[in-house]
Amino acid sequence: MATATATATASRLAVPAPRPSPAAPGRRRPAALSPAPVGRPRALSAASRGRVVCPAAPASASPSTSDAGQDRLQKVPISNIRNFSIIAHIDHGKSTLADKLLELTGTVQKRDMKEQFLDNMDLERERGITIKLQAARMRYVMNNEPYCLNLIDTPGHVDFSYEVSRSLAACEGALLVVDASQGVEAQTLANVYLALENNLEIIPVLNKIDLPGAEPDRVAQEIEEIIGMDCSNAIRCSAKEGIGITEILDAIVTKIPPPQDTAKSPLRALIFDSYYDPYRGVIVYFRVVDGRIKKGDKICFMASGKEFVADEIGVLSPKQMQVNELYAGEVGYLSASIRSVADARVGDTITHYSKRAERALPGYSEATPMVFCGLFPIDADQFEELREALEKLQLNDAALKFEPESSSAMGFGFRCGFLGLLHMEIVQERLEREYNLNLIITAPSVVYHVNLADDETVECSNPSLLPEPGKRRSIEEPYVKIEMLTPKEYIGPIMELGQERRGEFKEMNFITENRASVVYELPLAEMVGDFFDQLKSRSKGYASMEYSLIGYRESNLVKLDIQINGDPVEALSTIVHRDKAYSVGRALTQKLKELIPRQMFRVPIQACIGAKVIASEALSAIRKDVLSKCYGGDISRKKKLLKKQAEGKKRMKAIGRVDVPQEAFMAVLKLEKEVL
Amino acid sequence: MLRSAFPLVSHLPPRKPPPVRPARPPPVRPYASSAARPSPPPASAYVHLPFCRKRCLYCDFPIVALGSSSSSPVNGEGNDPRIADYVRLLLREVAATRPVSNDGVPLETVFFGGGTPSLVPPRLVAAVLDALRGKFGLSASPEVSIEMDPGTFDAAKLRELVGLGVNRVSLGVQAFQEDLLRACGRAHGLREVHEAVGIVTACEGLQNWSMDLISSLPHQTEEMWEESLRCTVDARPTHVSVYDLQIEQGTKFGQLYTPGVHPLPSETDSANFYKIASKRLSEAGYNHYEISSYCKTGYECKHNVTYWQNRSFYAFGLGSASYINGVRFSRPRRMKEYADWVQKLEIGAWSHEPDSAGMKDMAMDVVMLSLRTAWGLDLRSFSKSFGKSLTVSLCNTFRPFVESGLVIVMDMERRALQPSDFKLDLQYEGEIESKVAFIRLSDPDGFLLSNELISLAFGVIAP
Repeated sequence: MATATATATASRLAVPAPRPSPAAPGRRRPAALSPAPVGRPRALSAASRGRVVCPAAPASASPSTSDAGQDRLQKVPISNIRNFSIIAHIDHGKSTLADKLLELTGTVQKRDMKEQFLDNMDLERERGITIKLQAARMRYVMNNEPYCLNLIDTPGHVDFSYEVSRSLAACEGALLVVDASQGVEAQTLANVYLALENNLEIIPVLNKIDLPGAEPDRVAQEIEEIIGMDCSNAIRCSAKEGIGITEILDAIVTKIPPPQDTAKSPLRALIFDSYYDPYRGVIVYFRVVDGRIKKGDKICFMASGKEFVADEIGVLSPKQMQVNELYAGEVGYLSASIRSVADARVGDTITHYSKRAERALPGYSEATPMVFCGLFPIDADQFEELREALEKLQLNDAALKFEPESSSAMGFGFRCGFLGLLHMEIVQERLEREYNLNLIITAPSVVYHVNLADDETVECSNPSLLPEPGKRRSIEEPYVKIEMLTPKEYIGPIMELGQERRGEFKEMNFITENRASVVYELPLAEMVGDFFDQLKSRSKGYASMEYSLIGYRESNLVKLDIQINGDPVEALSTIVHRDKAYSVGRALTQKLKELIPRQMFRVPIQACIGAKVIASEALSAIRKDVLSKCYGGDISRKKKLLKKQAEGKKRMKAIGRVDVPQEAFMAVLKLEKEVL
Repeated sequence: MLRSAFPLVSHLPPRKPPPVRPARPPPVRPYASSAARPSPPPASAYVHLPFCRKRCLYCDFPIVALGSSSSSPVNGEGNDPRIADYVRLLLREVAATRPVSNDGVPLETVFFGGGTPSLVPPRLVAAVLDALRGKFGLSASPEVSIEMDPGTFDAAKLRELVGLGVNRVSLGVQAFQEDLLRACGRAHGLREVHEAVGIVTACEGLQNWSMDLISSLPHQTEEMWEESLRCTVDARPTHVSVYDLQIEQGTKFGQLYTPGVHPLPSETDSANFYKIASKRLSEAGYNHYEISSYCKTGYECKHNVTYWQNRSFYAFGLGSASYINGVRFSRPRRMKEYADWVQKLEIGAWSHEPDSAGMKDMAMDVVMLSLRTAWGLDLRSFSKSFGKSLTVSLCNTFRPFVESGLVIVMDMERRALQPSDFKLDLQYEGEIESKVAFIRLSDPDGFLLSNELISLAFGVIAP
């Protein structure tokens, strides 16, 4: 469709093969409309970053709606506006359905649709990230009455649940699309609950009824049981075959309530997305909740306090089309020479500078990084480049936080904070692929609350900065509640996984005869490693999961240090549960022994808790490294060998007297992600 | 007949200092000059005689395998036209080479290496020697060495060579076990080894000869190695070269074996062989004066010492490497290309590039060569040529190894100092001259890790 975004997918951690350039997390960008992406090396063409071309669609080919699409810019009374989103699991047919809605309403020509659809599939396959429609204004005529339908799409990953909630807050209703051959997935559930919290009218849609394996009755029952929603009138459709599309459009009109007519109130518009365009500055997507906004208005963002002049306003249909005015209930975009998305954060309220609204719309919150890691350039010369790249990414990603960090083993780099793991992966991926940076990435860490002896509490997200044992009274770590939906045959393996990860079993429910919901509470730290990969591999790919933060709990945590020849290696320090410290320590020391070349002396490699050594390996000393021939005075070859040897040493980092190759650090950091 | 082997090579410091020495004896500091000003003209010449009966399985030198078509095991190859053709080419190269100095610095050493130079008929060796004499002159008592393999010469041939002025023989015995000789693909057996040793030791007028051995051969055991060393000591050579087998890419051994993996000895065993050699030969009165060289006092190979002291030398022949005016040059390793190059040289279409290696490379050469020897690195001279700060950094890098015994610090008289002396001295902002004058690698532990230690130094020189 018209825009691309980093929506969660089933394969969110098992990042699939080459992903060209995932859009910034949570920053849904109407790729077709933005001339060039942010801070992106020119070499990466639009095509390679998932831009989906969507030319303007002046004429409609749809017989049923004649040429209704052409006049979609025309105003309708507020009572004829419907704002909705689509909630669906990856592969359940959201994109196809959205395509069909656009096609049937004449918003996009059929011929163009097809191209987009194909593009989408390629990109989805390559990136494992759903390409989705950003927002689209459609005109639909029912009973000779024209309606304006605004589809607002949402990212689907929990990392971006805040953004999802803001998108949903901009709607009055939502389509819940479930694959009739599969069933409800955990991620879908989370978004349905969010929609219910926002008092959205939910229209259940059973998709893919044309498939031989479709069991609409069973799935309808599943939805009823899990969500407790009446599904007797669920629409049965096949977006692919075009079955049931008109019914859906009719249901949007009849079931979803119109926005309230508050056009006379002072302006309040909810920002549900923004992205950075290097030529025009930040483009802000918003829903006008109260009042009206005109081109040229002096506006103010209530949370950031920044003031701008709205140079351009328009609607998305799905391409940006300029208009002069938008009023309560309408959805559109504006550009106002805004320099960074941090100035126009999702959830912020737009009001008039001169006639301010009394209070902002509810629900705004600052992004809180949940996961941290250190990013270090392998080549120290790339430090400045890394800084610039992070700054550029931040223009378009207000949730990304970073500050310089230095480590004796890794040199200079940055400690970065992310909303979650997908966010972290996307940023790392973009830094490496779009900015050609070679990075060492430390094991991700969560934010610990350290209760100090003097009753103070400090936050700590960097194991090497953990206060000394003597200075701290206890450590609390963030816990999540995790719900996993699985076919019943994988309940065993999934519960094992939960137990291994220090999980506390909460409940299990059979949602149908064959599918169960398993709920655990476990430390977030146990999830930042390969939890999701494990879930998928232990359920042959069938299980899905969802988690939410439930607060901090005290745990018996220790700092595990690695010492090489008696010298501590800060970058390899980790915070682990005491019960796991031994196995982790053993794994790390064994790995290091494999990877560190032998030296001219014996090198002990130890894992320690404080002064206590809990795992120990040793590299034996090199016995012999001598070139005895010096034939006929030809020293050039020997010198070349020695130079090569010297070069090899240079590529290593000195830990005390021991030369440790970069690869050893990387392998151990990777191992930490797996074993922690 | 020339008698060689003046026991004391004047520029080599003796192992034990003479009782009376000036406060500051001027040991030769060749690299000081090479770095700071034009190096003295060469007084050494290497001549490559590449012919072998067949290629040994470990060998990756530029050689020409003649094949064993000959009827006479000793002189069969003498008439092979390839040898005469090659020597003609060699003579053309000598003739086309301009002496570095016009004030006639005569050659102090000539080394016929190979290949198997003993396959070349003495009259052709004589022709080369004559050409060198005519071109550069020979000093009053030059060291003239030749490499000889068992089974390629008899007493008469050796006598003839000695008559020409050859006064040092390097006998390629390699091992005293029939099986090992065969496993290496040597063109001779144990019987030829004993015969050759007999011929060399019985030769009137030949005082100075080297037994060349290889350690860490496939299937070699500690007992075999002890036996080889015993036989060596019994033969009473003035010099012993012990080469640790290197597995080179592109050789048969390279295909067959992996270092440290059976049938090659393990790294520990191989290190042990090195230590045993050092021990046994020292017990028998040999000085371990270079990583792979041992000699009775005064019988250092003067020619090789030229290399280790980074002094310039001529080289002639296929694939040979010369070092003239600070420039190292390796001749083509293929005969055709070598012949073309000689022709270019003759018509003046080739000359040594006048620019010499950079200071860093020069410093690396000095370090890498001098640390091979028991005399070690002359810190004062190094400091003069390459700067105090580099010298101090170098010392700092080596300090932990002084403490662990791999590196030895010595005073002006080459007496070993305590590691604590080294520490003290370094505290005087580069005043290394006060007490510490030389550093060397210890024997055998430091020598055994020479690559590691030298590459550390390289890292300091070119960070």
